This record gives sequence, C-alpha cells and structure tokens, in this order.
Amino acid sequence: MLRRIPLEDTAILCALCLVLLGGLAILGWGVPVPYVLHGWLIALAAGWGILWMVNRLADAPAQAPQAYSDKVIRFGVVAALIWGIIGFAVGDILAWQLAIPALNGDMAWTNFGRLRPVHTSGVIFGFGGNALIATSFYVVQRTSRARLASETLPWLVFWGYNLFLVLAASGYPLGITQSKEYAEPEWYADLLLLVVWLGYLALYLKTLARRAEPHIYVANWYYLAFIVVIAMLHTVNNLSVPVSIAYPKSYSLFAGTQDAMTQWWYGHNAVGFLLTAGFLGMLYYFLPKAVNRPVYSYRMSIVGFWGITFLYLWAGSHHLHYTALPDWVQYLGMTMSIILLVPSWASVFNGILTINGAWDKVRTDPAVRFMMVAVLFYGLATFEGSFMAIRPVNSLSHYTDWTVGHVHAGALGWVAFITFGAMYKMVPWVWQREGVYSLKLEAWHFWLALSGTLIYVGAMWNSGITQSLMWQTYDADGAFLYSLLDSVVEMHPYYAARAVGGLLYLIGGCIGAYNIWMTVSGPRKTKSLQAGPIPSQPAE
Amino acid sequence: MTHDAVLVFSKTWGLVYLLVVFLAAVLWTYWPSRRRIYDDAAQSPLDGREDQPWQ
Repeated sequence: MLRRIPLEDTAILCALCLVLLGGLAILGWGVPVPYVLHGWLIALAAGWGILWMVNRLADAPAQAPQAYSDKVIRFGVVAALIWGIIGFAVGDILAWQLAIPALNGDMAWTNFGRLRPVHTSGVIFGFGGNALIATSFYVVQRTSRARLASETLPWLVFWGYNLFLVLAASGYPLGITQSKEYAEPEWYADLLLLVVWLGYLALYLKTLARRAEPHIYVANWYYLAFIVVIAMLHTVNNLSVPVSIAYPKSYSLFAGTQDAMTQWWYGHNAVGFLLTAGFLGMLYYFLPKAVNRPVYSYRMSIVGFWGITFLYLWAGSHHLHYTALPDWVQYLGMTMSIILLVPSWASVFNGILTINGAWDKVRTDPAVRFMMVAVLFYGLATFEGSFMAIRPVNSLSHYTDWTVGHVHAGALGWVAFITFGAMYKMVPWVWQREGVYSLKLEAWHFWLALSGTLIYVGAMWNSGITQSLMWQTYDADGAFLYSLLDSVVEMHPYYAARAVGGLLYLIGGCIGAYNIWMTVSGPRKTKSLQAGPIPSQPAE
Repeated sequence: MTHDAVLVFSKTWGLVYLLVVFLAAVLWTYWPSRRRIYDDAAQSPLDGREDQPWQ
C-alpha cells in the first residue's frame, strides 16, 4: 500500500541520493588512493542513510513523542569529547615537535603543514562545532518548549557533519588540502558540508517556528547568527573550480589580493560567528541556568547581539595589515575591530554581573567556575584582539607567536571553558543523572585547564615579543642584527613551556571526558516530583 | 566609479548607515513599553515551565 511521503523526507532522500552519486563518481573516476577511499566513505554513509530512510518510511508513521529529542544531543556530546581529545592531543604533539624538531620522525604525514589542520579542524570544528550543534539543539528545544521539528534531520546533521570532519581530518595527513587556513577541506567535502548546513538551518528555523512564546530567547539569536553566517562564509570562501572529478585538487575563483581578502573575511568571521556568537548563545543560556539567576541585562544582550553581528563582518581585513590590500580597507578593518570592543565587553560585564548574588557558586560549583573564567578570558581575548588590530601594534605582533598566544587565550580560555562548563551542566540533564560523577575531578579538570592555559599564553607572549623585537633590531648601518635562526634558537624555552601547558590542558580534558563517562554510566536519577533539570544546588 | 568616490561614499553614507542601524537597535530595545517583554524573556529559562514541550 502506498502512502504519501512527506515533502521533507522526499527532500532528504533526494539530497542523500545526490551525495551517494557524488561518492560513486569519486570512487569510480578518482585516481589518488586517499581520494578514492573518501569516495567509498561518502557513498557508504549516504547509502546507509538511504536504507535508514527507506526503512523508516516503510514502517507505519510513528507519532513523535511528547518529549524533547535528546538522543542526538547525547551523540553530539560524545562526538565533541572524542574530537576534543584528538584535537588537544595532536596540538600538543605539534607543540613538542616545535620544541624538539626530531620528534616529527622525518615522515611526510607528520609534517607541520599536514598535522596542524588536524589540530585546528579537530578543536574548532570537531570539538567546538559538535558542542555547538548539541547545545543548540538543547537550548532551542527548552527555550521554545518544542521538540526538534524533525525526526530525521537531526541525525542527518549530526552524521553528515561528522562525516565531513572525518573526510577533513583523514585527508590532511595524506596531503588533501586547499591550503586556506581553517577552510582546508577540498571541494567535495565542502559541498557535503553545504548540504548538511542547509539541513541544520532548516531544522533550527522549523523548531523555532514551533515555539510557545512569541519572543525568541536571546541565546537562539546568537546560535542562529552562527548558523546563518557560517553558511554564507563557507559558501563564498570555498567558491572554486575542481580540476577534474578524478582529483581532489581545485582552484579558487578569486585571485591574489581578492583571494586573501575573501579568505580573511571568512577566517575572522569564523572567529566571530563560530567561536564567539555560537558560544555566547551557550553562555546566555547555561550561565543563567547554572547560577539560577536571569541575564543581568537582557536588553544589553540584544544590543550586544546587533553590535557583534554588524561589526565583525567588517573586521577581517586586520589580518592583512601592510599588505597589497588598499590602505583604506586596512584602516576600515582596524576601526571596526576597535569599536568591536564595546559590544564584546558589554557581553563580558553582562556575564559577570549575572553571577552577582550567586558568587558562592563560583567557589562550590566548578561548572560555574569554568563559565566565570571563560567570560574573563573572553574579555581578555577581545581586548587583546582589538589592540592587535591597530596597525602599529600589528606591525609588532603579526607573524609572531603573540598571534598564537592570542588565539589560544580565546580558544582554550573562552571557547573550551564555556563548553566544559555547559557540558558539566547539560550531561546530567540529558542523561537524567543526579549530577556529575565527581565534583573533585571536575575541580581538578578546572585547575589543570587554567594552569595549562596560563602557561601556554604566557609562553607565547614572551616568545612573540622576543621574536618581534629581534626581527626589528638593526645595527648602526641599518642592517638586521639577528638572523631568523637566532630568533628560532631563542624560542626553545618558550616552546618547551608551551608544550607543558598544552599537556596539562590535555590531561585536564581527559579527566573531564572520564568524569562525563562515569556520569553517563552511573545510575539514573530517581523519579522525583519535579521532572527535568532542577537548578543545581551548591555541593556540600 | 573611482577609488576616491568609493572612499567618500563609504566615509559618509557608510557612517550614516551604521549609525542609523545602531540607533534603531537601541531605540527598539530600550523603548520603555517593551520593558516587560524583555523582563519576561530573561526569566523564561528559570520559570520551570521548560521541563515539557508545550504541545
């Protein structure tokens, strides 16, 4: 007996068939072995998805239960932790290789240029991206009081996104890259992500449309800005022409200066909308829940939203100071970056003042401590970023390790701290556990992560300033006093310190993963009268 | 359009555009009669009603 297939399922089936055809074309016509393997991976994943869809459609249509769909959130948490550990570990391996170069074993695939994107994609897109998808699903359902608006799309988004990550991370060591920073995956992986991301956007909008109240809670604004702008950035920056279906190689549609400008428009907005807007969404939901107090100034969070979304889009050119880019574009980027400090610090004060009246929780609840420190590092990194965008300052900081220190103050101190804080709250809620397995381990994680971050950032400030001063020291005749190699030799103690800091951070992350694992495998919460998440009590 | 013309355009109309957008956002957010919407919204994650979907 035939029944009508819903439009959404038809669209998903068509998308899966297109992905399957793409995978078959790659595995059939592809020449390089890694590329052919990727074709197999894409085709198998799409084929599995089609079978799953057909099975679902063959069954009698099931009524979606009157409950939130949390299973996909649990998958997202686990994926984020796995990618996080991989990303932290690869990052620390690279740090040790920089301190002791012989550690790369003289193998092509451990080359810095091949291994570094595994680290950056692993932490930014694997850890951060999965955490954002999982928490956004949690937040949009709770604040809208509506179940995710599809039974199939969440899984397409989760598995499709992680397939993209596997293609990316496995391609880099084998030499598949389009060599654009933070946008390294080649055209076929980019097309896959585009399909996944449109699904994510549709799902988010459809769920918001089911909301109970007319007003959309502010956290959703930030998550939605993240989804919309990443879709736009990803599409424009990856406009390229593949050389042929037989090879993974492609060439950018843009040339020279335009290519550089597009790349850093992308690069800086990935910072602004993935690493900032998305995680501010996380902050504006999980911090009020954790301290059981409303956002200090809800209106400021909205003005801050418009400030951040309008200003970030102009700031990218500060990555290209003193280059072939027209001067006025450089000054525009610099000016916008400085003004950006205002909405950024508005968010910082809003976050800190939200804790007012619950400061005891900073002492008793390590998750709140994670979030509080995250806000402080957000303030530090945004101040530093605006400062470094000023041209004369940039002439000192650019091409040095100061930049590396800056981005890690943001990534380790802000992004990962707010993520761990939110996860320690959300994991017991979505798995229905009484609380986290061990508050003591949570505190250990916190202190290891904090000391690791401080050592890392401190070491990079020292090495960055040392580099820039050595590179700009001239003798009486105006010739360089130091060769580049002199400055490389001077870096050794800082690079060793950085590797130690990263190791502490990695150990903290492993403890966190163990703690969450033990929470998940522990006993379920006994049924109480009050169902669902109750505001956490300070630990005894 | 010459480089200078683009420059003048962005320095005048670009400024006006951003200023107007900023003022619109601030007025829209801080308009006194809209206060209740935001106060209610700020409380919404904490009012205990989000335990179950509404429909």
